[in-house]
Amino acid sequence: MSTDLRRARPVALVLGVLAVILAVTAPGFFSRAQLAPFLAGTAPVLVVACGMAVLMVTREVDVSVGSQFALCSVLLGLLLGEGCPPALGIPAAVAAGALLGAVNGALAAGLRLPGLVVTLGTLAIGREALRWAREGRFVQDLPPSVQWLGLGQSLGQWALALAALAVATAVSLGLQGLMAGRWVHAAGSDPAAAATVGVPVRRVTFGAFTLLGALTGLAAALNVARFTDVDPKTGAGLEMQVIAAALIGGVSIEGGRGGILGVSLGVLLLAALSPALVFLGIPPEWERVLQGAIVLASVAGGTRRAPGRPTP
Amino acid sequence: MRRPGIPAPSRETLLAALLIVEGAVFSVTGHGFASLDNVLGLARLACEGGLLALALAPVVLAGGIDLSLGSLLGLSSVVLGLLWRDAGWPWPWAAAGAVACGALGGLVNAVAVARLRANPLIVTLGTLSLFRGLAEALTRGVDTVTGFPAAFLSLGQGALAGGVPVQAPLLAAALAGSWLLVHRHRCGREWRAIGFSAEGALHAGVPVGRRRLQAHLLAGVAAGVAAVVQVSRVGQAKADAGTGMELLAVTAVVLGGTHLSGGQGSIAGTFLGFAVLAVLRNGLQLSDQPAELAGILTGVVLLGVLVLGARRGGQRG
Repeated sequence: MSTDLRRARPVALVLGVLAVILAVTAPGFFSRAQLAPFLAGTAPVLVVACGMAVLMVTREVDVSVGSQFALCSVLLGLLLGEGCPPALGIPAAVAAGALLGAVNGALAAGLRLPGLVVTLGTLAIGREALRWAREGRFVQDLPPSVQWLGLGQSLGQWALALAALAVATAVSLGLQGLMAGRWVHAAGSDPAAAATVGVPVRRVTFGAFTLLGALTGLAAALNVARFTDVDPKTGAGLEMQVIAAALIGGVSIEGGRGGILGVSLGVLLLAALSPALVFLGIPPEWERVLQGAIVLASVAGGTRRAPGRPTP
Repeated sequence: MRRPGIPAPSRETLLAALLIVEGAVFSVTGHGFASLDNVLGLARLACEGGLLALALAPVVLAGGIDLSLGSLLGLSSVVLGLLWRDAGWPWPWAAAGAVACGALGGLVNAVAVARLRANPLIVTLGTLSLFRGLAEALTRGVDTVTGFPAAFLSLGQGALAGGVPVQAPLLAAALAGSWLLVHRHRCGREWRAIGFSAEGALHAGVPVGRRRLQAHLLAGVAAGVAAVVQVSRVGQAKADAGTGMELLAVTAVVLGGTHLSGGQGSIAGTFLGFAVLAVLRNGLQLSDQPAELAGILTGVVLLGVLVLGARRGGQRG
């Protein structure tokens, strides 16, 4: 846990400063009425980011999570519209996500293709196929049983946030405590050495892609529960958001390093930018500028901490 | 698993064959696909993407990547529009300003990658947001600059003698220039060496930092030029110009046989890869197929070529 804490320190510091600024200039931000929808809206992003962090620790990356997210959302919406109960529909969305992740994993780990390029391809295929099938039509009139998981808005918002927190805790514990978690770190920090000591590196990578897909399916379900209809364009740009959150949370793009605590704080920091800008009276168009600047700053910070190391 | 005596076809041959197949199929299915007008029009429409793909090739050859080129095109477009309309610059100066903006953006990537030695994927992921965000912030996301003078619009919409669009000689010059640089100049040799082994290249006396800097700077300039071409073609400067172009450029480069880990690849391959994608889009459109199908097939072609390549030795060791 101690390295996890240390790695999360810079992002925790920035998040703390932002929280103090908000507390002074806009105390309304921390009211229950503001906080609950904020956390509920952040929950799906956190779930995807946890999966992305695990994958990035294995030294891979998946840029197709946005279209996976949209495919699972639309699938769940259509199933619910056909009268399928949520107790069946949500596992179906998770399974569909796992399947999409497994396809990426089979191509990347099975055929040893670079994950970035493979998922660029599946990103385009998924997004365009969905656009073709739906022609921009929303899935409308979702049954009330899935709205806020049937708990009503105020309770449902907290339930979504807690669900995401539970996933993050489970992934964090698994990454640190389970043999599989050690394998993930080993495969990412030195694949050749890991293979020598018997780590099934390619199966670990395949598993990480599949886990990310399953978590993306779950996140889609958490997101569908927040609205009365499903936008087929949902999740556009999600890949950048979660990769950025993982990076500023201390996950190394070169693999082997990263913890869920930092990633969670990274997700919170990026998600807090948009409402913070509103409260501070800055035009919302500056959000992406800030996001980019934060990613660049985390890069500059990271290189300062490891001087003299030649980056191949 | 290569059988002796039968050399595997090179990526360029494969792509040229694919291009011929596309041409044959679309000549039958596409309305007016095989006409001279369409071929010339293709050069007009495809120019910006081609410029980005050709400029991205050296970056990837040197083991880097640039995902920010589409955003930089958008930012440069907005800069062009605002310099002309709000700052009152004459259009040639505004166009030069757009190219300078591209160069500046490329320099940001270049300094972060070459001087701070940061991972190019992260850096350009960050600048992807940064440049697009700046473009949106400058225009508040909704402002579109239109009403450019006719002299400027003729750059993108006009034709030379014989109906050849202005873009055709520009694209040809970019192709020739990048080919000379990559295949006939020490720059190209050194980019390749860096892609194979940055440390090895450093010990062999290659100015690794400077070469990486130049590759990213060149890509930025290309994005600026592409912005000028696009704004003059469509007649408006918008913050969302060039959305998704980075994907198209990366797809073209990888399709062209350039290894993402660096060291291997050719300009001819990149150009053919880009041509396959551009003809696919154009042919499907003329065959009354939905634009989405072109997107799906782009992904399928990319994965297909990768899988075929993997069976012949793989993209990485």
